[in-house]
Amino acid sequence: MDPEPRPSRPFSVVEGASYPDWESVYRDNVLGIYQLVFRRVGNRADAEDLAAEVLIQTLRTLRFPAPVHDVRSYLVKTARTVLADHWRRHYGRPPETLDSELAERTAALDYLPSASAAARALRILELLPERFRQVLELRFLRGYSAREVAAELRVSPGHVRVLQFRALRKAAELGAEVVE
Amino acid sequence: MKRSERRLAAYLDRLVAGRRPHPFQATPEELAAMTAAVELAAARTGADYPDPGFVERLGRRLRSELEGDAGAPAPAPAVSRRTLLWTAGGSAAAAVLGAVADHTLVTALSAREAETVVPNAGSWRPVAAVQDLPEGQALPVDTGSMRVLLVNDGGRIHALSGVCTHLGCTLQPSPQGGALDCPCHRTSFSLSGKVLHYQLARSPGDLPEVQSRVRDGQVEVFVV
Repeated sequence: MDPEPRPSRPFSVVEGASYPDWESVYRDNVLGIYQLVFRRVGNRADAEDLAAEVLIQTLRTLRFPAPVHDVRSYLVKTARTVLADHWRRHYGRPPETLDSELAERTAALDYLPSASAAARALRILELLPERFRQVLELRFLRGYSAREVAAELRVSPGHVRVLQFRALRKAAELGAEVVE
Repeated sequence: MKRSERRLAAYLDRLVAGRRPHPFQATPEELAAMTAAVELAAARTGADYPDPGFVERLGRRLRSELEGDAGAPAPAPAVSRRTLLWTAGGSAAAAVLGAVADHTLVTALSAREAETVVPNAGSWRPVAAVQDLPEGQALPVDTGSMRVLLVNDGGRIHALSGVCTHLGCTLQPSPQGGALDCPCHRTSFSLSGKVLHYQLARSPGDLPEVQSRVRDGQVEVFVV
């Protein structure tokens, strides 16, 4: 063994780093933007449409070289607008949490990794009363139908629908308190 | 059942089935429930990874819109194709069953992706000049979030995770070169990341690869 390990090479993000072209922006951000959008619509078809809209809108207006910082912040801002429009068009209004959450993302200039998002969801589940947790875990993490959940928990499918609504509202309350 | 419960139930049915839900005018309570459901559905292992076909098609569409050239190939995303293919595959759903049952979703994720570390929010960073890395040598790089070892394995320059796969001690290049040693339990890895020897009852895993490339004489790694 080396008695004195060699010092690590100092590492720093290159100050003022820029994207040279649209391809580098795409390569670096397509995954983050897709995930950001997917976690706010929950289905692939909508996520693909909206992620495409965000990337196309943003890339059309960029001039290169473009600072990494500006590009990321612009992408998240565009995602905010596109998502709010989507919820407004389809469900009458955007969820209250949408804007504050994305404002934080813009400030952090970074996309939440999958593992952190999953950990947050599990943390919320753990805080729920047992019956609520069971329903949501079976339904949304395991993908059971309402009928299958009813069979598993030995209650009527109608009761599962009532339970899942209450459980989701409770999860939403807790979600506002659980930080990433 | 009330009408409001029925329409929310229909929304959730389609969400769980992975289909596009139908629009309706939602109350604030319904919206809160819907966003909670979306967050949970998105936490399924691999659910939030894009389909590689989508990434490819969108890349081509962008090239066509921005450059007016529909024939050229799409830029490859900064995620290995293998990762995308894997997560889009069927094994994800099966993995969730076990993972959620014992609440080790996060562990399960990291264990399966151990082959190549591909940070979600990573980017390409130049970290060393090629000439600083002679054959048979290794060079540690610390990003704050990741400890990486750049290695020159018989002329092939690549990057490995610099953390021992046994209990997470920080690996050091061996003084004589040609190996990476763990200071904790006399485990040693080759410059290709394979376990050379160990004193443990069972062999620890090989070292995960970190994506790397050489550009203009600089070694670049894909890190956070």
